[in-house]
Amino acid sequence: MSEEIRRLSEELARDPSSLVFMQLGEALRRAGQLDLGLKVAHRGLERHAHNADAHDLLARIRVDRGELQEAFDEWDMVLRLAPSHVGARKGMGYVLFKQGKLSEAEAHLSTAATQDRGDSSIATALRMVRRLLRYAHVAGNGHDAPGHDDLIAAQRRVEEEARELFADILGEGEHTALLLNADGLVAAGLYVTAEGEDVSQEVGAALTGVRDEALRAVRHLDLGAWRAVVYETDLATVALAPALDESMVLVAASHTVPLGFVRRVLDRCVQRATTWLEEVE
Amino acid sequence: MSASPFEGVLSMLIRQRGVQGCMVVGEADGIVVDSNVQVGIQSNVVAALAAALYRKARLCSAAAGLSTVGFLQLEAERGHICAIGRDGLVLVTLAEPRAHIGRIRGAMLESLSVLA
Repeated sequence: MSEEIRRLSEELARDPSSLVFMQLGEALRRAGQLDLGLKVAHRGLERHAHNADAHDLLARIRVDRGELQEAFDEWDMVLRLAPSHVGARKGMGYVLFKQGKLSEAEAHLSTAATQDRGDSSIATALRMVRRLLRYAHVAGNGHDAPGHDDLIAAQRRVEEEARELFADILGEGEHTALLLNADGLVAAGLYVTAEGEDVSQEVGAALTGVRDEALRAVRHLDLGAWRAVVYETDLATVALAPALDESMVLVAASHTVPLGFVRRVLDRCVQRATTWLEEVE
Repeated sequence: MSASPFEGVLSMLIRQRGVQGCMVVGEADGIVVDSNVQVGIQSNVVAALAAALYRKARLCSAAAGLSTVGFLQLEAERGHICAIGRDGLVLVTLAEPRAHIGRIRGAMLESLSVLA
């Protein structure tokens, strides 16, 4: 049990009517202790049945448990208690997206994006849903409600587009490029090792930390917006640059590729990523 | 008191066009070992942030299987941070946007041996 969970548990034991159950439930959720988190959230709601954030916590635990419909119902309750709750809109959009109900997901995410323009994860999700919707309509020859097969065709098209996004820029050269979203998840591109292993997700997750440090440095030193981080290793040159919605483009090239060329490829990849993301507003 | 072994390198770097400050920093703690900065530059702050960035790049690179980090450059709207490390020390340069990064990079690569 982590120190934080222990401390919060003791605090809740001292005062069972305290709202600290929400922090404890969240800490348990993050630690993957979902059964315990669920129990804590339920007990808390027995005393605070009209607390929207407590229902939101329960919904997020439900989603992590894969109980999508229960999570949706819980977020529905959140909206009844707090009609402008952005987290509930975002959550409902996610559940509906997972259930293939793209038009309804788009409606919720669109409302959430209007309510919180600063949350890049909402903007990213909304772009994805809108892209899928557009392609599903094309696959379904413009019918109002795309069917299951149309959605699968749309999903395939998005995946293919994403995988090939930088292919013509990179050519057959000794470099590779990824578009990572604000959370470090791969949105497009491919990172394949010399052995042919796809390590896009691992590399993306690892290098997102560099972006966070760069952001910290420019903020504290008043250097304005960051434009690129380029560094050389024994094996490769790695170049990172920001793109739309707090996403980031990463280019890695063999250390034999000149630095200036890597930088040029990076600029072209950023431009390509921006155009692709902006296709769906 | 004897002169710092880094004095020569720092004097050479500060003379490069657009360089506002340069310093040798402990990578783990971000504390300045020696510095040569223009008036108004807070060497302690630059040192801590640059060392943290360099350290993060090194750790992230290792996690991504990309081996040891050499020269690093952060380019921002109003300036550059350049860094290169060895044996727990990082040589850091803070420069204006007009600085010639190619020259600074060359000078920093040549100076790497002084960190050993």
